[in-house]
Amino acid sequence: MKNQLKVLRAMRNWSQAELGLHLDVSRQAINAIETGKYDPSLPLAFKIARLFSIPIEEIFDDGFDGGPDGKA
Amino acid sequence: MTDLTEAPMAKLEDEGSNGRTVLWILLAGFGIVMVAGVIAGFVGEHQADGDRAFSDFAIGLIAGVVAMMAALGVAFWRYDKKLKASGEPMTRREKLNRNIILTCGLLGGVMGAVMAAGGFLNAPDKSADPLSVLFTGPMPVAVALALVFFWAVVIPVVAWFWHTRAIDEQEASAYRDGGYYAAYAYLILAPVWWLLWRGGLLPEPNGVAIFLIFSLIWSAVWFWKKYR
Repeated sequence: MKNQLKVLRAMRNWSQAELGLHLDVSRQAINAIETGKYDPSLPLAFKIARLFSIPIEEIFDDGFDGGPDGKA
Repeated sequence: MTDLTEAPMAKLEDEGSNGRTVLWILLAGFGIVMVAGVIAGFVGEHQADGDRAFSDFAIGLIAGVVAMMAALGVAFWRYDKKLKASGEPMTRREKLNRNIILTCGLLGGVMGAVMAAGGFLNAPDKSADPLSVLFTGPMPVAVALALVFFWAVVIPVVAWFWHTRAIDEQEASAYRDGGYYAAYAYLILAPVWWLLWRGGLLPEPNGVAIFLIFSLIWSAVWFWKKYR
């Protein structure tokens, strides 16, 4: 799943380790999420959204662009 | 959608995974333990053989192995220094995780040494195959009970503590994936070995070997999933 975590982190001028401190996860976990190798759990995704004060769907993109009639 | 195009790039450089550095530290540490075992085994064998003076060849061999151990020590020190040089802050969980893994490594080394000592002390034949002495030979009951205490009482407590307090969800996921791979390897390999043994194509299945393969696959996949 694509995400904007790396950009959001850079906007705060945080390193991966510093973001990890805010979310209580390892730097390795942040790296795995940023590179799309690991999709965070829903609780962690909400935590990330709250930290950056942005809705989850603006951070994570699952590639879904709506059904044929434009509805999900 | 929030405009994210104006992000400062100062900290956007690829920090990447430190898996390779950690892997070298683990391999160097494991290598040091193995080489120390080779030296101890060689000297022990020599003493059992009458404790005559070492030949020039034996001295050269020991010197070579000691040099290898020193090189591994330098590699361990250099990679550990590289890991620490990043100066990255660590969460409380990461510190606890690191300390638990180091403690387990130390306990594993102690258990291995006790097992080796117990096996060799109880070996009926000093010229017996070292592998069979280590893995299948008899050992003093006190040593066996001490090892069981470590494995059946200490390890579960440490494991519970590690899973609930130390690791984060990404590592837990990597660990679960390792468990799946190891479980399927066991479900497939163990019966295959058993059937091939019954067909007379392989020696009798060895429980220790199966356990080691299972543990190795679990650990390798955990490491790969965590640090890839």
